[in-house]
Amino acid sequence: MNLSFFDQFSSPCLLGIPLILPSLLLPALLLPSPGNRWINNRLSTIQLWFTHLITKQLMTPLNKAGHKWALLLTSLILMLLSINLLGLLPYTFTPTTQLSMNMALALPLWLATLLTGLRNQPSASLGHLLPEGTPTPLIPALIMIETTSLLIRPLALGVRLTANLTAGHLLIQLISTA
Amino acid sequence: MLSRLVLRAAPAVLKGLQGLPPPVSAGILHVARPLHTGQHRLAPVPPLPEKGGEVRHGLIPEEFFQFLYPKTGVTGPYMLGTGLLLYLLSKEIYVINHETVAAACILTVIIYAVKKYGADVAAFADKLNEEKIAKALEVKNEAIKALETAIEEEKKEQWRIEGRSYLFDAKRNNIAMLLEANYRERLLTVYNEVKKRLDYQVALQNLKRQKEQDHMVQWVEKSVIQSITPQQKESIAKCILDLKALSKSAQVAV
Repeated sequence: MNLSFFDQFSSPCLLGIPLILPSLLLPALLLPSPGNRWINNRLSTIQLWFTHLITKQLMTPLNKAGHKWALLLTSLILMLLSINLLGLLPYTFTPTTQLSMNMALALPLWLATLLTGLRNQPSASLGHLLPEGTPTPLIPALIMIETTSLLIRPLALGVRLTANLTAGHLLIQLISTA
Repeated sequence: MLSRLVLRAAPAVLKGLQGLPPPVSAGILHVARPLHTGQHRLAPVPPLPEKGGEVRHGLIPEEFFQFLYPKTGVTGPYMLGTGLLLYLLSKEIYVINHETVAAACILTVIIYAVKKYGADVAAFADKLNEEKIAKALEVKNEAIKALETAIEEEKKEQWRIEGRSYLFDAKRNNIAMLLEANYRERLLTVYNEVKKRLDYQVALQNLKRQKEQDHMVQWVEKSVIQSITPQQKESIAKCILDLKALSKSAQVAV
């Protein structure tokens, strides 16, 4: 079976069964849940330490209300880390190379932050559309630009992740063939 | 790793299923749910084993080699591996392509990293756990030390109490001295008062006697002077003149 450069990006399918769901869930096997102990084995200790480090970095600048996002953001970063790093191994499929998956991650999260901000502090979130210290004649143009950048953001986020991963994998393949 | 979990869990499950009464154990396959018999035992959690499961070449559990040993001896698993690999390659079930090269490079890097930094990472994980345990032990030791110092202080207080009697004796002596001093002071006052009154009486009597004496002398003088007749007066005046002359001559003689 001859592999072209782009075969690794097609959604895997075995005997007609789409394997996208196992490829999303199986990396979780590498992260064992720590269980009921106070002192764990080495693997769990290191993973817990790492998770703790990430959560601390994310949550230290935020006030108490912002800590509600801790679970979502930490689990998101752990999932993306494991999926993307495992995709570097040969004969693996990286789900995040699919634009559909990345848009499914980007759009709801972006919309959630936007709507939460609009709901809780409407004037402050609208005020973000105008950077501080702009000269007065530029105000209308700048508001339009900021609104456009806000609306483009989910597309930018999704495409950024897809493009980065696809480019990386392609690069590995090119280097190994050339 | 997962195979070991299954192997370990299997006897416990089988034993649990065999504990059921015979009519039920006959239809064991239909029992999918474990029955809750016996107490919930959540603590104490059984301790972690000292060492992880034995693996050979970092990947294959030792149990696999032991499993094949009775039939194929020591080289059995290696022959199996080599044969399998060569079969896959020769029949082109596994095609060598660019991903093989990538796999080889990645594998080399991974093996090198594990060999070089594996021990350090393990030591780091152990250090994290040690620090956790040390913190808890610290709390316990601090508590013990605080209690020990409290015991020492208590013993010292008890020793201090033994000297209580000396303190009370000293206080008693103090009070006794105060009372004595006060009593003597008042005695002195009484003595002085009485002496003053007696002195007054004495002075009164003395004065009376003095007055009487003076009065008597005066009366005697008066009566004597009254009794001097005029001619006696002349002779007395002549005597006085003579005495004056005599005194003058006596003074010259001295």
